[in-house]
Amino acid sequence: MNFLAPLFLIGALAVAAPIVFHLIRRTTRERTSFSSVMFLPPSLPRLTRRSRLEHLLLLLLRCLALGLLALGFARPFFRNSSPASGSGAQSRRVVVLVDVSASMRRNGLWDAARERAAEVLRSIGPGDEASLYLYSRKAAPLVSFEQWRAAPAGQRAALAIGRLAASAPGWEDDRLGDALITASEALADTDAEKKAPGPRQIFLISDLKAGSSLESLQSYDWPKNLELRVEPLKARYPTNAGLQLVAESPDADRLASPAVHVRVSNAANSAREQFQVGWGRAPTGDFIGPAIDLYVPPGQSRVVPVPLLPNAPDMRQVVLRGDDENFDNTAYVVPPARRQLSVLYFGSESAGDSHGPLFFLQRALPDDPRLSVKTDVRAPSAAVPPAGLREAKMYFVTDSLVPETALGLRAQMLAGKTVVFAPRSALAAGTLGLLLAVDGLALEDVQPRDYAMFGDIDFRHPVFAPFADPHFSDFTKIHVWKYRRWNAGAVPAARILARFDGGDPAFVEVPLGSGRLLVLLTGWNPDDSQLAVSSKFVPLVCSLLDFAGGLSGQTTQYQVGDPIPLGPAEGASEGTTITQPDGTTVSLAPGAASFGGALQPGIYVVSAGSRSFRVAVNVAASESRTEPLAPDELERYGAPGPRNPPDSARSELRQAALRAEEAEGLQKLWRWLLSATLAVLLVESALAGWTARRSGDTLPRGGTTT
Amino acid sequence: MIGGADSSQPRSAALIDPKALMGIRDLELRARVVVEGFWNGLHRSPYHGFSVEFTEYRQYTPGDDPRYVDWRVFARSDRYCIKKFQDETNLRCHLLFDQSRSMSYGSTGYSKAQYAATLAATLAYFLHGQGDATGLLSFDEAVREYLPARHRAGHLRQLMLALEKPAGGRSTNLTDPIGRIASLVRKRGLMACISDFLAPLDRLESGLLALTACGHEVTVFQVLDPAELTLNFEQASLFEDMESARRVYIDPAPARSEYVSRIEAHCAAVRSICEKLGIGHHRVSTAQPLELALFEFLKERMRRGKWSLSGARNRP
Repeated sequence: MNFLAPLFLIGALAVAAPIVFHLIRRTTRERTSFSSVMFLPPSLPRLTRRSRLEHLLLLLLRCLALGLLALGFARPFFRNSSPASGSGAQSRRVVVLVDVSASMRRNGLWDAARERAAEVLRSIGPGDEASLYLYSRKAAPLVSFEQWRAAPAGQRAALAIGRLAASAPGWEDDRLGDALITASEALADTDAEKKAPGPRQIFLISDLKAGSSLESLQSYDWPKNLELRVEPLKARYPTNAGLQLVAESPDADRLASPAVHVRVSNAANSAREQFQVGWGRAPTGDFIGPAIDLYVPPGQSRVVPVPLLPNAPDMRQVVLRGDDENFDNTAYVVPPARRQLSVLYFGSESAGDSHGPLFFLQRALPDDPRLSVKTDVRAPSAAVPPAGLREAKMYFVTDSLVPETALGLRAQMLAGKTVVFAPRSALAAGTLGLLLAVDGLALEDVQPRDYAMFGDIDFRHPVFAPFADPHFSDFTKIHVWKYRRWNAGAVPAARILARFDGGDPAFVEVPLGSGRLLVLLTGWNPDDSQLAVSSKFVPLVCSLLDFAGGLSGQTTQYQVGDPIPLGPAEGASEGTTITQPDGTTVSLAPGAASFGGALQPGIYVVSAGSRSFRVAVNVAASESRTEPLAPDELERYGAPGPRNPPDSARSELRQAALRAEEAEGLQKLWRWLLSATLAVLLVESALAGWTARRSGDTLPRGGTTT
Repeated sequence: MIGGADSSQPRSAALIDPKALMGIRDLELRARVVVEGFWNGLHRSPYHGFSVEFTEYRQYTPGDDPRYVDWRVFARSDRYCIKKFQDETNLRCHLLFDQSRSMSYGSTGYSKAQYAATLAATLAYFLHGQGDATGLLSFDEAVREYLPARHRAGHLRQLMLALEKPAGGRSTNLTDPIGRIASLVRKRGLMACISDFLAPLDRLESGLLALTACGHEVTVFQVLDPAELTLNFEQASLFEDMESARRVYIDPAPARSEYVSRIEAHCAAVRSICEKLGIGHHRVSTAQPLELALFEFLKERMRRGKWSLSGARNRP
């Protein structure tokens, strides 16, 4: 028999009360005043045999009543006969989540993590289920629940420990929030397989650095009956400084004295603050040229320019010296090459015409250290062979073209290029018909009484998306003096991106093949509108260029784990080969849009046919924030369970208490015990009354005569 | 006048039941009832020819102090007569009255203190009636009240009031009050000590010796309740000492014999001390009529020849 509230058994000590009362009954309470007791010999109380017998029976009954009452209050139950006791065999399910992010490469952390994980895995009972997950940017099972179940009971922990021993930390940043959600969902998935889900636990084995990403936990609704136990690992050396490249900005200084800007950030718990930064030699990391001395207090960061060395061709990495941990001390640099882009302009105006569209277009197209757009001006009356059209990235047409050229442009559009058609008069309707391959297409010159304005703009379209913010979305200040009216609705698949305030289409996109034709039904030159002289023009041209794919493919800096976009042109043409930093090559199938296997820092060479470019992949900056996470940070995100070293005994006790409560609630033995108490009390009362009547004496004092 | 063998013991029929006597509230009236009843047992008329103003003359004999010759009688009768002064002949009696708390015990419907006060009042009344000076010293653990021995109008009343005061002391201390009266009373006289003597006797002898050494004649009345002598209780109970408040569980039946032997030994010890010092010892039970105690007192005085009842004898 077990008891739910065994403390009430102490109440059974109350059986002493009747005994004491009976003893008091034995000793007289009569008092006699006497002149002097100096001659009185003290005597022992006398007992008569008769009273002893009578009182003993009453005493037994009263003790029995009290004992039964205490027993009832202690809420006894039988564990074996309880139908709920089957839940005692509930298996617990555990996900062991081990951090393999770059910061785990610090001295001794990985060994400690493996040992801790092994301890946890060994503590898992034969009836329990477990899975082992490694996480950095994503969490992936090393041993899944199915594999755990499939393994023989005695070898499960050994299997997981063995697999863990073969693993090593990677270079990716850690997204702890995502990993916890993955683990929680893995546990939730196993719930469906069970009728009575047992306790679920996540053991998190990590260095719990401040750089861990927890944002995704913000909106996560943690399931019930889940416990998160954190096994924090402590690094051997606290000092760690990280090195990150700062995004390049095309400014005059940079052009005057070319340099790479790096940010050196020192962890908040670092013990040192003196560091050195400089260009490093590829395999060893020794400084090439002079090193820059730096003073960075703990918890702060400094951005320093590292000047390009004039006579050192192999400037691939900036290295940092002075801290204890090396995993984040190298920043790989690929100086961005200046890209040349060609745009074909078909217009009849002269090059020096300051009122023509070309004049404004040439000034709006970007020309910076990373991108130089070259505008080739072609007379619309001259036929351009397809080979001449192919090199250009984008086409601007403002006048009627000869049919050859128009058909050539249509072919380019079908191949994926973008043509911006902004007719200066309704006479260009034929060219528009040729470009769209639509017969009988008509344009009409419209001159509003005062002016027209842009309205009803589709800001969801990529061209206008940069203007979606209310700060920039006001196009009403751009007055349109003249425009062309076109019934664009008649063309299937035409999408009107903007209208004039009169309702006529102003900007229309017509997809053709994998490319598109963008029709602007007014000119940007001052004769037609104020568009070219407005603040919207340059962003709009850049947006058009970006939409046409002219700005993409320029990024050369990535973090470990980021997919490296290959660009549509490169991927579509033929197979791409990627040379990784360790010298191995990866071949991608034709049509692959990106390369997702950049899992180590270094310089990657992407070769696609004749074209080849380099990208630098670096460790994420968040990995350098190695100071410990605030203790209540996980709790702030609502993570359940104890965050201290685990106390499995306490949890098991709680479970056992819950089971006991359930069993007791089903059996309700206390009712029988209370009934028995009442019965005993009735018998006691009857006996006491009978005894009193028989002896003609009063009832013994101190008894419970209900 | 006390005369004849048959009159040496008062008739029991004439004795007053103490229970009835104690029903009288006034102490002086109680004393008067006893004394008059006592005289009634001795004389036909106690009032006849009795005068407290009586003065004795006797023939001058050589050797008498000529100061005491009554020259008026000589002038009238031409005889030398010596005037015997009342003071000279009268007794100085001090009543030592125990007022400790143990005296307030009583199993007969009245306490030992009431009985003892009546006894003291009786003695005082009797002695006052004879013209003797009577004083009082009441005590418990210390002297409570002291009235010097006098014989004047109102003194008896004052004495009665002092006797009527309730017993208030805690314990009984016989030695100190006795030593105190020895120092207070210089003139020799009679000391009647009325107490239950339920106290350690280790220094009683020395105290009484101090009195007898001063030339006082000492008489002891040991007043005890019948229950104290026989322990005639039925129920076992907690016996609480009235003086020390000590509680002892006593089952009377088995304890009785031992108790009786102990109290008798104590009384015997008191008696032996008294006999050793030549002191009259009277053990008085409160169930006993008061006249008997008075009679015992007078009888003892007569036996010792200290008191001749001369006034009564010479009375017409």
